Amino acid sequence: MELLDLSFFTSAIRMISPILLAALGGALCARVGIFNVGLEGLILAGAFSAIVGNYYSGSVLVAVLTGALGSVLVSLLFGLAAIRLKANPIVAGIAINFLVLGLTTFGLRAIFDVKGAFYDKNMEGLPKLDIPVIEGIPVVGKLLSGHSPLVYIAFLAAILLYIFFYRTVTGFRVLAVGKNEAAARSLGLKVTLLQYGAIVACGILCGLAGAQLSLGQVTMFTEGMTAGRGFIALVAMMLGQSHPIGIVGSSLLFGLMDALSIRLQGFSMPTQFTAMLPYIITIFAMFFLKDRGADSQLSGQQSSR
Amino acid sequence: MNRKRKLQQLLKSLVQPLTAVLIGLLTGAVAISLVGASVLETYKVMWDGAFGNFYFVTATFARATPIILIGLGLAIAFRAGVFNMGAEGQMVLGAVSAALAALYVPGSGIIKILAALAAGFLAGGLWSLLAGWMETRFKVQLLISTLLLNYVAVLFAGYLVSHPFQDKSGSAALAQTPMIDQVAWLPKLFPGMSVHMGFVIAIVLAIILFIILRFTSAGYEVRMLGYNPFFAEYGGINKIKVLLYSMFFSGGIAGLAGTVEVLGSQYRYVEGSLTVPGYAWTGLMAALLANSNPLGTAVASILLAALQTGAMGMERNTEVPLEIASVIQGVLILFVTAKITMNWWKVKKKGRDIHGAA
Repeated sequence: MELLDLSFFTSAIRMISPILLAALGGALCARVGIFNVGLEGLILAGAFSAIVGNYYSGSVLVAVLTGALGSVLVSLLFGLAAIRLKANPIVAGIAINFLVLGLTTFGLRAIFDVKGAFYDKNMEGLPKLDIPVIEGIPVVGKLLSGHSPLVYIAFLAAILLYIFFYRTVTGFRVLAVGKNEAAARSLGLKVTLLQYGAIVACGILCGLAGAQLSLGQVTMFTEGMTAGRGFIALVAMMLGQSHPIGIVGSSLLFGLMDALSIRLQGFSMPTQFTAMLPYIITIFAMFFLKDRGADSQLSGQQSSR
Repeated sequence: MNRKRKLQQLLKSLVQPLTAVLIGLLTGAVAISLVGASVLETYKVMWDGAFGNFYFVTATFARATPIILIGLGLAIAFRAGVFNMGAEGQMVLGAVSAALAALYVPGSGIIKILAALAAGFLAGGLWSLLAGWMETRFKVQLLISTLLLNYVAVLFAGYLVSHPFQDKSGSAALAQTPMIDQVAWLPKLFPGMSVHMGFVIAIVLAIILFIILRFTSAGYEVRMLGYNPFFAEYGGINKIKVLLYSMFFSGGIAGLAGTVEVLGSQYRYVEGSLTVPGYAWTGLMAALLANSNPLGTAVASILLAALQTGAMGMERNTEVPLEIASVIQGVLILFVTAKITMNWWKVKKKGRDIHGAA
């Protein structure tokens, strides 16, 4: 087995899509001044409701939609606490993570009457898309073709988010809210509405991330199957400075590292250090990037300054 | 008159957490009836599982021990107005250093125990200090850096126990250190019960911290920094020094949480044994629930631990799944923070207004 071959990069691309989707959702929240620690819970909610939708409808499309819906419901609860009740968003996010972990495991027992994991061989996973022209190209075709639609949607979402932020009026207003909420309010912007909008959009993106997790590779749900991906997405968002293109870059990096640690296991080498790398890189990056973008504001109310 | 006002204040500060507890229990009741069990009976089984007899009470206390210590550590940081999210990493580094100290420091049992306690405290404290230093020196946001350092610490500890210091004696190569010599074990409080000396350490520390924060000038400085950093600086408090001290002790106590778990119940560092039960997050919740009051944190930790041990009892005896505890806990925290942070926010906002465009 080679250390770096083509399947290594294909698996990296597959791995980044949930992280990328969730990180984009987190960036939306960060840009309206809400630091969303609850990404982990939102992805998990999406993964679970996608499986529920798949089981009852038998349709993959319905499954993806229910995944997004389940995640949106949870994110609305988060919004209720963080915006309406003015709870500390960080604490509310942590609470959401716990709540969803409990609810999904509970639901696994209540709905499917199983413990640990649910799998049904009749369930259909996400299809693999073969892109007509690119498919034919030798190396690139293998790399870029044959992923689930959600992988492509993740990259598309990044581009759309970039256009939204920097080329539309609403996007510009969103950025204004993140820069200075009080000033945005005084200009007559509907700050609360924009915040709810961002939170709902974040829910949709995290729901898709969850659907990719539970329907992408293997069609099943396991307890806590997000395994920290929500937090990795949070880190990717920070490293990417809540900028869509930056997030694509940092997600690619994390996906590569993830794939690399799995590959290194085959060589019986300590994987801990490669797994550590994204976090250490992010910490170092923070020395240089700290003053740019909305980052300096996003957790302003908790910052010790 | 004064006493009456104090009583009123106390009642007022209790209303919000109690409402949150009520909402949590109501949500739990809905979930229980969804699976078709009797609500009252289930809650009774849960209560019995946590406090039903002496054995269960001690089991609850044993589970509460690391949670109290984590909560106390975080309470110091919160009181100083810093959001230390790194308790998990600080606890794990403390635990692995304590295990190694207990294994390799020569000498009698008591020396090994003291060395382990010191190593655990220092490892957690220095790790936390690193984040504090990056914040004061380079303005790297503490909230984020502590979160990131968690992963580094947990992975590093995982490396230590799966490579250089792995226990090679068993047939299965588990990621854990060898077992600590029995002389270095923290004694159990009652024979046959799981609660150990660490619980006493935690309670004593809670009382000491309460006294320090309330009655000493050092405690006053910490509280002032949390209430209003600008006033604190104006009043001649060295902001950087107090912040660094708070972070050091905050992390040190989190390290102690790991240490007593190693010395008192695991007798070795096992990978995942501290992170999987979510001690750090539960401790964070306890500190928030008690609004960072040390004594309140201890009580809240015991209650949250009771919720977990109670749920285990419930799962043994009924059809209701264990996870109802995390549902109740999640809802409880979701609603308890609404008010706590409203107060905190107001304070912070005032501070920001003075500062202008901070």
